[in-house]
Amino acid sequence: MSLADSGRALTFRPAGVRARARSIHRPRLEWWNLAWLCIAGALGLSLLGVFAIGTTEPGFATRQVAFLLIGVSAAAVAALPHYRWLQRMSVPLLLLVLGLLVFVLLPFVPESIVRPRNGARRWINLVVTDLQPSELAKIAYVLSLASYLRYRKNYRRFLGLFLPFALTFIPLGLILVEPDLGTALLFLPTLFAMLVAAGAKLRHLVLIIAIGIAAAPMVYPILKPHQKARIHALVYQIKGDARHVRDIGFQGDRAQTLVGAGGLLGVGRTRAASLVTYNRLPEEHNDMVFAVIACRWGLLGALTLGGLFLLVMAGGLGTAAQAKDPFGRLVIVGIVSMLFAQATINVGMTIGLLPITGMTLPFVSYGGSSLVATWIMMGLIVNVGMRRPIHLARDSFEFSDDDG
Amino acid sequence: MARTHPLPMFHRRLTLLGGVMVLIALVIGAQLTRLAVAQGASLRSKAERALHQSTLLPTYRGRIVDHRGRHLAIDRPGYAIAVEYEVITGAWVTRHARRAAYKDIGATAWAALSDAERTNLATSYAAPFHARVERLHEALCVEGGIDRGTLDEKLAAVRTRVERLAETVWARQEEEQRNAFLAGGGDPAKFVFRRERLIEQTESHVILEPVGDEVAFAFRGLAAELPGMFDVREHARQRDYPWQELLVTIDRRHLPGPLAAETPIDVEVVGVADHILGGVRSVTERDVNDRPLRTFGDVDLGGYRALGDVVGGRGLERGQESTLRGRYGLVRKRFDTGEIERIEPVPGRDVELTIDVQLQARIQALLTPEVGLTVVQPHHQNTELPAGWPLHSAVAVVEVETGEIRAMVSMPTVAMESSLGKAALGARAWCNRPVEAIYPPGSIFKPLVLLAAEAEGLVSIDDTIECTGHYFPGRKRPRCWIYREQWDFATHGELSPEDAIAQSCNIFFYTLADRLGMERLADWTRRFGAGTPLNTGLLARGTNPAGEMVWREESGGMVIDAARIRALPLREREFSRVTMGIGQGIGVAWTPLHAANAYATMARGGIIRDATLLAGAEAAGPRRAEGRLPIHPDAVDVALEGLRRVVSEGGSGHHIVLASGTVEPIFNATGVTIWGKTGTAQAPPLRPYDTNEDGRVNGDDDGIANLDHAWFVGLVGPADTARPMFAIAVIVEYGGSGARAAGPVANQVIRALQHEGYLPSQDDEPEEAG
Repeated sequence: MSLADSGRALTFRPAGVRARARSIHRPRLEWWNLAWLCIAGALGLSLLGVFAIGTTEPGFATRQVAFLLIGVSAAAVAALPHYRWLQRMSVPLLLLVLGLLVFVLLPFVPESIVRPRNGARRWINLVVTDLQPSELAKIAYVLSLASYLRYRKNYRRFLGLFLPFALTFIPLGLILVEPDLGTALLFLPTLFAMLVAAGAKLRHLVLIIAIGIAAAPMVYPILKPHQKARIHALVYQIKGDARHVRDIGFQGDRAQTLVGAGGLLGVGRTRAASLVTYNRLPEEHNDMVFAVIACRWGLLGALTLGGLFLLVMAGGLGTAAQAKDPFGRLVIVGIVSMLFAQATINVGMTIGLLPITGMTLPFVSYGGSSLVATWIMMGLIVNVGMRRPIHLARDSFEFSDDDG
Repeated sequence: MARTHPLPMFHRRLTLLGGVMVLIALVIGAQLTRLAVAQGASLRSKAERALHQSTLLPTYRGRIVDHRGRHLAIDRPGYAIAVEYEVITGAWVTRHARRAAYKDIGATAWAALSDAERTNLATSYAAPFHARVERLHEALCVEGGIDRGTLDEKLAAVRTRVERLAETVWARQEEEQRNAFLAGGGDPAKFVFRRERLIEQTESHVILEPVGDEVAFAFRGLAAELPGMFDVREHARQRDYPWQELLVTIDRRHLPGPLAAETPIDVEVVGVADHILGGVRSVTERDVNDRPLRTFGDVDLGGYRALGDVVGGRGLERGQESTLRGRYGLVRKRFDTGEIERIEPVPGRDVELTIDVQLQARIQALLTPEVGLTVVQPHHQNTELPAGWPLHSAVAVVEVETGEIRAMVSMPTVAMESSLGKAALGARAWCNRPVEAIYPPGSIFKPLVLLAAEAEGLVSIDDTIECTGHYFPGRKRPRCWIYREQWDFATHGELSPEDAIAQSCNIFFYTLADRLGMERLADWTRRFGAGTPLNTGLLARGTNPAGEMVWREESGGMVIDAARIRALPLREREFSRVTMGIGQGIGVAWTPLHAANAYATMARGGIIRDATLLAGAEAAGPRRAEGRLPIHPDAVDVALEGLRRVVSEGGSGHHIVLASGTVEPIFNATGVTIWGKTGTAQAPPLRPYDTNEDGRVNGDDDGIANLDHAWFVGLVGPADTARPMFAIAVIVEYGGSGARAAGPVANQVIRALQHEGYLPSQDDEPEEAG
């Protein structure tokens, strides 16, 4: 603030105070705002995705650019209303999304509206593009969970964790029935991350994870045959047994081959295109786009992608740290952890650390719903980031008996 | 209890989350580095393999050609018609009929039917598919030139074989899986075994093979009409052995007494030279592992493909595999650039043999039981075996000058095995006796002992040694063969070296062996070629049941080594040291080819040129180019003179006495000079039968003792030259006396050499052509 400004401030002008007070609360995005890191990272990832998709599918790359523009606009829209308003809208939004999730599962809905692909009912035909309600569900879930947790303390008791888990299992269950195991899997890490951030007792969470691990073998028998087969394929692949390379392990084998083929610096566009095409990598512009990146730009490209993700994560967590409002904080943690979980599962399955499951790489994979949804999440981070905390507000989620 | 922290709790929790994220990122980074750096090169080449489509270009195995340029083994390109297993079993018709029915009535109606109804319905759709199968069968009969019955048999045979195979494999798999399941603590009641289809149940099976271009063309045309029912396999290489079976006419006028006849006999010889040529077989997993086909990187395509490739299985086909095999060619098309690379196949090289297949066949015919030479005859005076008992035998004929093997026969042949019936068990038909079977040399060893002792200065060619009947004073054994009660304990008296060989006196050679000592004599035995395989071209690497690498197809024989000599108890050492002088005891055992080879070395005056089956540059035995033995030409002359006297009047190999009492000379070939030595070698008990019925004929069965192997090793040359041209070794297993059993065979071998033009003959009438 300049001397001239401070001089003027000496004069008592009520109208001016009101204006200044308004100006203090006006959303602004100074250059030092950590939300910029998210924008930069997300833009970098999106562009990397466009180029990666263009390796084999230039037509798709063009359309992805269009989706990106829509996504950025949607992000801007998502940043505009004060997030407190979004908090009020979170429950109706969740109900709407749950309605859509039920809608896609209804057997009498004609196939012209919900067209099953590979036996999965995930998409609603909107003529121009397909809408995937599960993408919206992610956002609605984060908003409503943040809204539920923001002023409570009961989740710091073991039984108090029941409601947050119940809230999670409703969308999770519906998505699991579609079936879309991959997306469903994202809800649990998100829930845990939000509970950690909100100050739930770590020992409770560790206990739940331990119970979950102990119960995992009981879940195995209820898995679908193709899911069991994929786990088998992963086990055989880790053992170095090539017996499933031609069937269920084909996708994983091809992906790892191409990741390795990229070496340190990659093979360049033309060669990468040939390798990807003739190695018949499935879903190369979609779930398997990471293999294309590693093949074309090598380890360097893959690490760049990882760096950009960490930038988004760092920007998000930093913004959360700068914010004080409990709802804003939890929304950001939810978004960041959901994106991180999604990226980890996608990359993990591509490089043979996790079984293959249908999962896009956020920002990078081809697809309108997914890209727009992730950009809306960026918009929400910016939304929180550009609204200054009220200085006198109490820091949320500060408990004196932290166990972590 | 409140603790003070530099950071507020929410920030600490964020740090925790961020830390977990970084950890996960590190794990991912490590795996990425592993893939891209540690495995980068191999994964790159794996990925690049997908850019190519490679088609192998077949190569052809080299020919095996005999001494006179006849093709003994040739590779014919060909085709095979293979019918899908489903078509053979009839499952193909059922599947297609059901599909047709399903298409016709639609999915909804089909779903409403029970399985039995579906089967019923399908039956009414089966007719056109049966017609197609019928059409295929017809084509197989017409084009393949077989009748319907033969075809049905062939199809049934495939089905039976695959079904049996499946039962065996499933039984084994079930057993293994159950064991693994139980070992893992599984409940036996819950064990479930699923039979998975074998490859054999999903692939096509060869029904017609080999077929020529025209038939292949016809079936290719038919493939459009009958898709998915059969396939035409290209280049099902067919190894042909055109000289495998020959009809040889044997002149019986010169056979010994009771076998002689005015009319010749036609002998159908099966498996001519089959021990030598061997055969090819399909590759096994081990062949492929030892030498996998490399289709990338290096141009070398000399390895084996896992399916359908052939490899030499035995004989020269195996020993000369690297020469015969050739290398695959390759056409490699790159998808992304459209570039086509072509590596031409390299055909296998021919292997030229020193064998004359006509001579080989003739000698083989002589050894068949039909001719009678290798069947116990009354004049053999075999004390243990009845007349008519078939004897197994071997002959090796080596050209002295070159060391080339002109004929090498083992009887019975592999091809004869099937006709031997129960006797096959003890016949060891697979054994190539001239190079694989070892026997103590017996008296045929004596000339070599003389040469060794002379070269060592332990005896002079002018010396005489007195035969005293037995060697050690006061001990009956070892004794001379003449020193027996029935001959009033006769002795040979004072003997010159020539006479010692001619009379086959034991005492003379006991004395020389005693002077040489066992180690020195063993050393000389090795210098004459025993103790190591001669590497005629058959030698092949193999593994014994313990998995150790061993030489196969040729035996080195056995020559006692210094360590074993030293380990002998004194009395036994003394005895063995002496008896080794007459080729008995534990000192030496060798193959018939070793015997012929040693005699050829002697006839060359000591020049080493080990016997070989391979002509020209291919011949590469271990000692082919190695100098000569330090034996004196005069000593060689004395030894040869002794050998000449053996077959002359008064020699041990001059005549036989027939059952009628008639005395008949063993050798009646004219126009040739013969030097020879008979030998009678200790033999283990003969165990011809599986007396304990364990499916094997071996040492556990009851044996016939007191039998000897009959040797005759001779040298022969035209009458007008002083030097031998051929060395001939004959062994008749359990034949008894060398003179009576092996001598007449040697005589016929000399006549066979004359018949094939290798030796002159002065017979009045020319023999009839065979």
